[in-house]
This record gives sequence, C-alpha cells and structure tokens, in this order.
Amino acid sequence: MSKTYYLPQSNEVELFKAAARMNLPVLIKGPTGCGKTRFVEAMGEELGRDVYTVVCHDDLSAADLVGRHLIDENGTYWQDGPLTKAVRNGGICYLDEIIEARKDTTVVIHSLADYRRVLPIDRTGEVITAHPDFMLVVSYNPGYQNVLKGMKPSTKQRFISLTFNYPKAEIEREVIVKESGVDQKIAQKLVAIAGEIRQLSDSDIQEAVSTRLLIYAGKLITHGFDPYQACMHSIVESLSDEEDVLAVLEKLISLHFAKNAKF
Amino acid sequence: MDEKVGKFWDHYVTKKASRLFKDEEVTFTEIAKSLKLFYHLLGGEKGKELHITDKRSIQTSRTLLEKFSGTGKTFFLAWQDEKGIYLPASLAYFPLKTHNEMHYYWLIAMLSNVTVNTQNISSENMRVSDLLIEKYPGFREFYTYCTRYLREHYPELSTIEPSLEASSVHNYPNPLWIYLPLSSSNKLLSSNDEEEVHRQRDEENKTEILKMKKKSEQINDKKETDGLLLFLPESILSLMEQVKVDRQENDSFDADALYNAEDLEEITLGQKDANLSARIKMDLDISANSVEEYPLGKGHFIDEWDYKKEIYLKNYVCIKPIISLHTEPIELPKRLQKMMRRVQSELDLMELDCIKRDNLPYGDEINIESWIDYKGDQNRSNHPQRFFQTYERKMRDMSTLILADVSLSTEAGITQEIRVIDMIQDALMVFSESLHRLRDRFAIYTFSSIKNTKVNFHIIKNFKESYSDHIRGRIHAIKPGYYTRMGAGIRESGKILEKQQSANKLLLILSDGKPNDVDRYDGRYGIEDTKKAIEEVKQKGITPFCITIDIEAKEYLPYLFGRNSYAVIRDAKKLPKVLPEIYMNLTK
Repeated sequence: MSKTYYLPQSNEVELFKAAARMNLPVLIKGPTGCGKTRFVEAMGEELGRDVYTVVCHDDLSAADLVGRHLIDENGTYWQDGPLTKAVRNGGICYLDEIIEARKDTTVVIHSLADYRRVLPIDRTGEVITAHPDFMLVVSYNPGYQNVLKGMKPSTKQRFISLTFNYPKAEIEREVIVKESGVDQKIAQKLVAIAGEIRQLSDSDIQEAVSTRLLIYAGKLITHGFDPYQACMHSIVESLSDEEDVLAVLEKLISLHFAKNAKF
Repeated sequence: MDEKVGKFWDHYVTKKASRLFKDEEVTFTEIAKSLKLFYHLLGGEKGKELHITDKRSIQTSRTLLEKFSGTGKTFFLAWQDEKGIYLPASLAYFPLKTHNEMHYYWLIAMLSNVTVNTQNISSENMRVSDLLIEKYPGFREFYTYCTRYLREHYPELSTIEPSLEASSVHNYPNPLWIYLPLSSSNKLLSSNDEEEVHRQRDEENKTEILKMKKKSEQINDKKETDGLLLFLPESILSLMEQVKVDRQENDSFDADALYNAEDLEEITLGQKDANLSARIKMDLDISANSVEEYPLGKGHFIDEWDYKKEIYLKNYVCIKPIISLHTEPIELPKRLQKMMRRVQSELDLMELDCIKRDNLPYGDEINIESWIDYKGDQNRSNHPQRFFQTYERKMRDMSTLILADVSLSTEAGITQEIRVIDMIQDALMVFSESLHRLRDRFAIYTFSSIKNTKVNFHIIKNFKESYSDHIRGRIHAIKPGYYTRMGAGIRESGKILEKQQSANKLLLILSDGKPNDVDRYDGRYGIEDTKKAIEEVKQKGITPFCITIDIEAKEYLPYLFGRNSYAVIRDAKKLPKVLPEIYMNLTK
C-alpha cells in the first residue's frame, strides 16, 4: 500500500508524535475538508498504529463505541466496538466530528482521556486498561454556532489541542498537484480562487471552499473536463444554493477560466 | 408652450448626442447585491457600503452636438472613500448588456485594488488594470474589447493608450477607471448659458436625481484646491476666479437653487410626513384607553455590578413587571403570512428528524439490542428489562426566552416608513409563529429603563401562556421608550429561565445598541455590568445569544458574549426572516 500523502502545515507532526509518546489524547479543530482525517491516517502509518475511525452522528450510542452482545447459534456473545478494540490491541481511535455525538455518549471516553487510561464496560463488568499504544484522537469543526451541540468543557479539557486551517497557498498548491495531477499553473489558479472565496464572511456564505473540493476540481480537470465546468460543479455548486451567491461565484470562475477554454 | 417645446427639443437633442445604449443599460440596483458579494470575494473591506455616485462635472472638449444638448459635461465616475464605494447608477457604454454588466464587475475589481491619490491616478489605474488582466483571463477579454470599442467611439478618450503621457489624462474621464473622491475633486460648474439647458434635463429626470445623493452635501469648499488641478490642467486662472467667488453662497442660492430645491423639498417633506404619521400613531396608542399598562405588583429589587468598586450593589435596581391589558387580539398580518410560508419550508426540514428513544418499558418496536443484552447479562435480575424503542418527534427539550430591547432608540427609522421597532415587532411575530409550529417552549419579554429606579419589564408571553392572537396583540402594542439597562434585563430573564425544567435554556437578546441609561449606566459601566450579568446566566446553565442591528456591535459584543454567541444583522429589514433562521441554526 502506498504511503498516505500528507504535507505538514506547521508543527502538527511533531506535536502529534510527542503526544503519542506521552500517551496524551489529541483534539483537532478545523473547518471541513482541511485535512484533519488525512492527517490522522498519515500519522497512524507513520507511527505504525492502526487507526479505528468512528464518524460520530447524533444517533451514536455508547454501545456503538464500546461494543454489544450479539447472538449466534450458541446464544449471545460479546462483540467489541471500535473503541474497545483500539484499547485492547493498541492503535489510534479517531472520533471524527465528535460534536455530532450526543453528550452522554462522549462521556465514555472520559476515563480513557486522563491519567487513568481505563475503559470500564458496564455490560460485561470488565475494566480494560489501555494498551500502551492506544491513543485517542477526536476532531470537530468549531465553525458552527449551536446551542445544543458543543463539547462539554469537561471533555474538551482532557486533550492537547491542534487547530487546523486551510493550508497556506504554496502548500495547498502542492497538495492539489500531488493529489489530482493537474499542472502547477492550474493548481495556482485553483488556490487563487479559493483564496478569494475564503475572504467572504459568514454572512455571505456558510463555509468557505475546502482543500478537498479544490482537489475534486483538479481531478475533473485532469480527466479532461473543461476547467470552467470542473470548477462550477466541484466548487460553486457545492458551496451554496442561493441564486445570487451562485451567480457571483460563477462570475468569479468565469474570470479565472474562460468558458470553453482549451488547455 | 415654450417650455414644452424646449423640453421636447432637449429630449431630442440629448438623445441624439448620447452615445450610450439605453436599451442595453444595466442599473446598479439590479445587481447591487451581487456586486457587494463580488467586492467581498476580491477582498474588499467588509465595512464599506456600496452607493450610487453623484455626477461630477468635468471640462472636456465636447462634440458640437454635445454642446448643443448640454451633455458630455457631467459624468458618473467610480470612486471610493473610507466609508464606502460609489458607482454610477447605471452603465450603458457598450452595445451589449453583458458587457455593461461586466463593466460594473470591472469597476468593483478595480476598486478593491486601487488606492488613488492626486499624483498617481493614471499610473495607479494602469497598474491595477494590468494586474487584473494578468490575473483574470475573463477580464482580459473584456478589457481588450472595451478599450478597442472606447477608442473607436470616443476618440477624445485617448488616454487608454498607455503610451501617452500623464498630462493629457484628464481630458475625458475613462469609464474604466477609478477616480478621486467627489468631495476632494471640486466640482467646477462655470455658470454659463449651457447650464440652463442642462438644468432642464435634470428636472425631467427628477427620479434619477432623487436616487442620487444631494450634490450640495458633497461640496467642501475648504478643500478647494484638492484635485482642482487635476481636472483643470489648462488654466490656473480659473483657480483664482474660484477663490474670489464665494462658492458656497453661489451654490446654495443662485446657480443650483432651482434644481437643488427640487429634490431637497422632495426629500425633507417626505421625512416629515413619515415622522408625523408615526408620532400620531404613537400618541393614539397612549391616549386611547383601550391599551392599559398594568403594573404587576410594586416591583422587586435586584443587584447590579459596579466594576469600579468590584462589588454588587445589593438590591440596587427596581424591576417593574408590566403587562398591557385590553390589547386587541390580531391575526398574523398578511405580509408576515407570506414570509411565514418561506420560513415554513425550513421548519419542515427541522421537523423531519425524529429521534429514536430506546430502552423504554413500552413502545412501538422491540429493541433487539436490549433483549440480547438481557440474554447476555450474567445478573438478569439487575437488568432494567426495558425492551422497547419508539420513534418520536423530537421533543427538543428547549426553553427559549426572547428579551427585546425596546428603548427609544428603536424608534429610529430604517427607511421613511419603517422604524426599527416595526421590524422588531414583525420579527417577534414571525419568530413566535415559528417556535409555536416547532412546539418549542418560549417566552417573550421586553425591557426599557429610566435609571435604576425603574426598569420596565414588559411581559408579552410567559412560558405558561399559549401562543394566540392575544399574544400578537401584545406584540403589536409594544411601544418604544426610555433607555437600555441591559444587565438588569438579562438578570431578570435569567431568573425566569432558571425556573424552567428543560435541559437546554436559551436566552435570545434582541438589541439595537450598547447598554445605556441616563445615570452612570453608560460606556464602560454599562458594558461591565452587562458582561457580569451574562456570566451569571451562563453559570445557571443558560446559553445567551445576542442578535443586534448595531453595525458597530463587533467592537463590544465579542467582549460581552464571546466570539460565537452573537450575530450582527446589517439590514434591520431582514430581522423577521433572519431571526427564525438563527434560532434554527442554533438548535439544529
């Protein structure tokens, strides 16, 4: 398997490694599509640990993390959840978008995220001490204003925090070139477009264009799509549903890439 | 009769002389919203507003026809100052609408990049033009076409040849360029006969004039020399003339009197009208016996924070709960019903998500998991044996208290007809309608204050009352008055919310400005007390959120509420629509 591509933005790799060495849990904040998940995967490879990713949602129960009883012909048996697997065998348990999970669900990680490093399982009466290679990583997007969602301070204050943002122009260009295979010139254009869209404020647009979308655009272009069309479908349409916003973004794209231009 | 003929002639000759394409015209108002967004896209300062520019006069060499018709002398140019950017009300230089529209975008792109001053106007414009056509192939196409077109049809516009030296630059203004602020580039109307003709045209296009800012405002005769040289390079002599003449007098009484009077009259009369009617309406509200403000008890006392002494002033503020009696029950006004339909589509989205409740002793389905759990449990007698699950409409377990600031400042007008308070009332109606449909629990209170001795705390709807026409009647009867002792309002609301049983408690504060009162409750004192009050409610597990229409709120709201707990609504007219949206976003 080829190595996961990740280009560091600043000191996050060193920090993550240090945290892994010292058994500290890590919290990653950042807007959507800026490379959080990719970073965790790359670090998992680098450290030689498995990554158990759980994408959180509001119906996620503690049993989904810890495990549950299942039935087979011999009766019931216990099945470990992803969190328990990581705790037992060592590895990185990555809870993506933890803010989406109900608050009572996230409480199960508390005992793992401090000096105790144990996971009590009520249903089987077991108390598992974490494997030395076990590491807890959670991420969320702080951009949303929401009363009902949000991390409890008691959860938040158990982590070393890393804040991600969209990469700097040169780094982002490299990432786009590497991931999508477009040439430097087009990548540069895409980064310029992104830079402009990211200047819009919250009131204009819900969230700015992510690096992921830029890579999509790059991929479409590499596969022979006209750059204007590629940008329209991967960037503009994904960002907004409001007509006037769409119209202006379309204008911007058409200024960068003339319609039906050949490259 | 003479006049009629004159007008007709003027109309004819103006049209004849005009090189614009009126049929392909693009107006600012059509695309203002998009332009603003585009301006932000290109990194323009978000605080700046977009406006329509006034015309300015420039002495140029004109064609014979233009001299006849009195046109070709005044121009609408794009410019900017610290407060905003100014664009022509309409553009029609080119024979195609798409190009005229693009012309606006071009100007915006120029504006977000240039900084012009008297020295560099041509070099700066050229620099930025080059930059834009380099960066955007789309602009390159447009620019090539336009410069060619302009060169062919406006031979006097030789300045777009970059090779020409700067001295000839200001003969004829280049519509693709950005110019100096109007106030510093003096307008140079020499009072000759042609003015007569010119004025006639203006009278005809009264509506057009009304859309523009009043010219007289823009004249700043202290800065007479600024930019004068710019537009009058051929004669220093006229500068001398200018200095001797008292322009202000000239402007206000003689030369422009006729046409200024026209729009001045229009504008001021209009405003008076609106105020008068508003006042009458309010007076009627008070004098009519139908609505009665009924105090509920003698009032009670609460504390206030004194930041200088760093102590609470015990029982310092007197809260007087008031309810309006005998209000007419009213139905949701028509205009709001329309808005409600739009909001409803968003509400529907929210209602879609049901939540699963498992581990119930009874319910719609068997929860196989808890059954298995029970089977696998070593100690079955300990198991709660709740084997059912059910899908139900999300009971969101929310209590929301809306606290609206109805101090006298909300009496201020947004437009001639609409006051801030009207928008607050509309917003409250739409909002309560939305929450009612979502079946969320909510209460509405308003407050205003006169010193610490009297903080009026109006009850519009408490948590127990059900939403009805009566509540709308009370919303309708809200009257602005007095000042904003915000800390007291927040503390009192916190007390009410605290008693609610819900898991989530939201305090929505609707405000139009900083906390202030006639006593020392102003500036820092008010801010600090409000901040303290907010900390107190947060400790009670209540989430405060502030929605304000004060554009300067960004200076103090982050300090009061924290970065993620406020929203500034620039256009108060959007309040009714935005308020439910914010609520839904907050609680989704």
